[in-house]
Amino acid sequence: MRDLWPQVKALLPLVEHPVRYIDHEFGTVHRSADDDPNDTSYCMIYPDTYELGQANQAVRILVNAVNAHPHMFAERAYLPAADFIDLMRAHDLPLFSMESCAPVADFDIVGITLPHELAATNVLETLDLAGIPLHSHDRTEDDPFVVAGGPCTYNPEPYAQFFDAICIGEGEEQTVEIVDAVRAGRAAHKSRKEILEDLADISGMYVPSFYELSDNETAKKTGYAVHPINPHAKQVIEKRIWEGFADSSAWEPCVVPYAELVHDRLNIEILRGCARGCRFCQAGMTYRPVRERSADNIVKSALEGLKKTGYDEVSLTSLSSTDHSQIREILTRLNKALEGTGTRVSIPSQRLDAFGVGMAELVAGKKRGGLTFAIEAGTQRLRDVINKNVTEENIFSAVDQAFHAGWHHCKLYFMVGLPTETDDDLRGIADITQRVYEAAKKAIDPRQKNRLKVGISLAVFVPKSQTPFQWDGQISPEEAQRRINIVRDAITNRGIDVSWHDPRSSFVEAIMSRGGRECGPLIEQAWKNGARFDAWREFFDEDAWRHAGDEVGIDVDSIAQRNFDFDEVLPWQHITSGVHTSFLRLERKRAEQEKVTPDCTFAGCTGCGLCTDRGIDFETQEVRHG
Amino acid sequence: MADPSLFRLRVWFKKQGRCAMLAHLEVARTIEREIRRAHLPFAISNGFSPHMRISLGSALPVGVGGTKECFDVFLTQYVSPQRVMEQFASACAPDLAVTSCKYVGPHDPAPSAAYPISKYELVLTRPLAHELSVPETVTVVRKKKTRILQVSDFLVDPPQVSADKTTITFSTKAQSTGATMRPDVFVCALLSGQWPEIDAACQSEGHTLGLGHMAAAVDTLTRIDQRMI
Ligand code: SF4
Repeated sequence: MRDLWPQVKALLPLVEHPVRYIDHEFGTVHRSADDDPNDTSYCMIYPDTYELGQANQAVRILVNAVNAHPHMFAERAYLPAADFIDLMRAHDLPLFSMESCAPVADFDIVGITLPHELAATNVLETLDLAGIPLHSHDRTEDDPFVVAGGPCTYNPEPYAQFFDAICIGEGEEQTVEIVDAVRAGRAAHKSRKEILEDLADISGMYVPSFYELSDNETAKKTGYAVHPINPHAKQVIEKRIWEGFADSSAWEPCVVPYAELVHDRLNIEILRGCARGCRFCQAGMTYRPVRERSADNIVKSALEGLKKTGYDEVSLTSLSSTDHSQIREILTRLNKALEGTGTRVSIPSQRLDAFGVGMAELVAGKKRGGLTFAIEAGTQRLRDVINKNVTEENIFSAVDQAFHAGWHHCKLYFMVGLPTETDDDLRGIADITQRVYEAAKKAIDPRQKNRLKVGISLAVFVPKSQTPFQWDGQISPEEAQRRINIVRDAITNRGIDVSWHDPRSSFVEAIMSRGGRECGPLIEQAWKNGARFDAWREFFDEDAWRHAGDEVGIDVDSIAQRNFDFDEVLPWQHITSGVHTSFLRLERKRAEQEKVTPDCTFAGCTGCGLCTDRGIDFETQEVRHG
Repeated sequence: MADPSLFRLRVWFKKQGRCAMLAHLEVARTIEREIRRAHLPFAISNGFSPHMRISLGSALPVGVGGTKECFDVFLTQYVSPQRVMEQFASACAPDLAVTSCKYVGPHDPAPSAAYPISKYELVLTRPLAHELSVPETVTVVRKKKTRILQVSDFLVDPPQVSADKTTITFSTKAQSTGATMRPDVFVCALLSGQWPEIDAACQSEGHTLGLGHMAAAVDTLTRIDQRMI
């Protein structure tokens, strides 16, 4: 492969933070002279800057998985920051991989993870900078196979025309199978189409070009918005589950960066999945079933990882780490082993109850900065609607314990625009926040009173595919602002800091989450209009998107805000996380009735359908403590 | 700072190759991780957020390498310098590798103050086009503040040019106040007027910090020695 380093190096003195582009960090795996140059190559791309993507666990896992197999190797690439992108274009320098500094377009397979709904224009920026044709149907025999994966593939339709294949679910095994299929296919001189057919044969793979949009009548009859037009394509794509997760080592070798990054610490994934069943949460549905790694595995892996990387912080990651049945044991053992080394243990989020705060106390040491509580809704009624199984008692016992234990600030997270929300629920946010403030004031050490800080953060609800709220439309940006204002105005206590996510970009998230194939041209036009780095507040260009809607004839607001009927065919119906649509429908009805559903790992199976279909079960190490 | 119960180890290292691109904070963070990976018995500060007892030598700008950089780390146990070197061997990125170490006394000056004189080596990608003329002043713009430095206040050995006109060495000293003249800024001033196309690029972009477009003429700029006065 070509080495672009001389060209890259010449431009680095002209860009901000050149450290992002230099590679050669501790833990990088480089090709050696002994390696077979004909090995099949896989480039794993995070479609945002190095700072944001370096710590991405999927990138690490998949690169390691491919590198563990013979006859193939993997490298990483990230989208450079805007200043360098522009300079690269001016100097005809294409997107390059980190390790070999090779053109991304020279790899056999390019995998792009879709980490959130605001990455779509960055995908196009990535492909364009790499010099890879944007559309699957324009790629020729010499072009790489462009594959997507990650959370946003549960509605792959807006991205359909840009990817040759899309991985649904967990990629640990699937990615290796993909690289192997391309390797075998190329060795046998198969055509691009034949190799795509081989990819379509892999379980959990969706090859969008092998499907056509169905007309309304066919869709009604079949129940799916698209139908296969190639014998290798399946009507329904079921997500992959990596059944080896719980028994595999929690130490995932990683690159230790030079640059200061977001979440720069050792990550130990202690469990996968969360079955609390919050009805707005896509991850809670798509990462089922819950699987815990054992305390022995976790402690051993954390210590080994710290030793090998030199990090001074280890984070025990998952969707709900304090739900791990052995969490107390894990934290106690780690604390003991790490005493006197200046190493911190952290948990990314804690349960909103006294137990959760107790666990936070175990790891906080003497430094007790801030705690965050995701309450999500201001009234019990609405918390029941969204199945956030948290009572006022939970909240206030958590606050009381936290401020007694020495914390002096906390931040509360809420959403606005949830289904069935009324202005009373919004005033409820203000009400509970002010009561939290009073409770905190009572609990805090009187000498610390002037350090007391309570803040809230409001986000606009984005309805997600594959959830019980997938049928619900988003509120309009104007309505979102009105609701935010209600909360803001109802908070009279000056000690409370109110902040909110800019609602301007929410409609893009809603479109990506629930749009159909017709949204592909919209993304492309928005990108042509200059949209990129949409997740960055300072870059988000609302006009680029809105004008794109006019130009391609799509009413962006109506897509973001549309409600689907229960019997309507959803654009992503052919993709399944294993949770039955009937279960999602039932959950949506229970939401309407303000009825809650318990967590299956605490209360036993609640019938989402996944485990029964696959003949598996959730795996906890011990009985979970409710 | 002085704690006689601790062993104060001075460690020399290189910052070279791609790592010349690192900023001082990035070097500091990486060094700390190298120490942890070397499993040395480092001391930890007391306080709310305990951290490693380490103190770094004077900073190098982004883009400037060094072959004789140093830091002090405080150890709770004596480890022979030879053993320290063995433990560092597999713990370092090659471009930021430890080269030697020795114990120093608890009251010796900090590494950032111990060696006020820095000797630099500039390797060019092309021979000089004209005789060098040392500028009288250099202008440093930082955060919209402009400062004009008298070169003679800092330059202790004037630039020496190699026979093939591609290598230049010079030494600067830090003033007693700690003020220094950035070597990259000095080099830009020193080389201006050599190549019209680079001058034009520098003008158009208005780079005032770092090598900027002058980097096209610079292969490496390296601090090759640090010493006492
Ligand atoms: S099938 Fe039952 S046990 Fe399995 S994830 Fe669904 S609700 Fe939980």
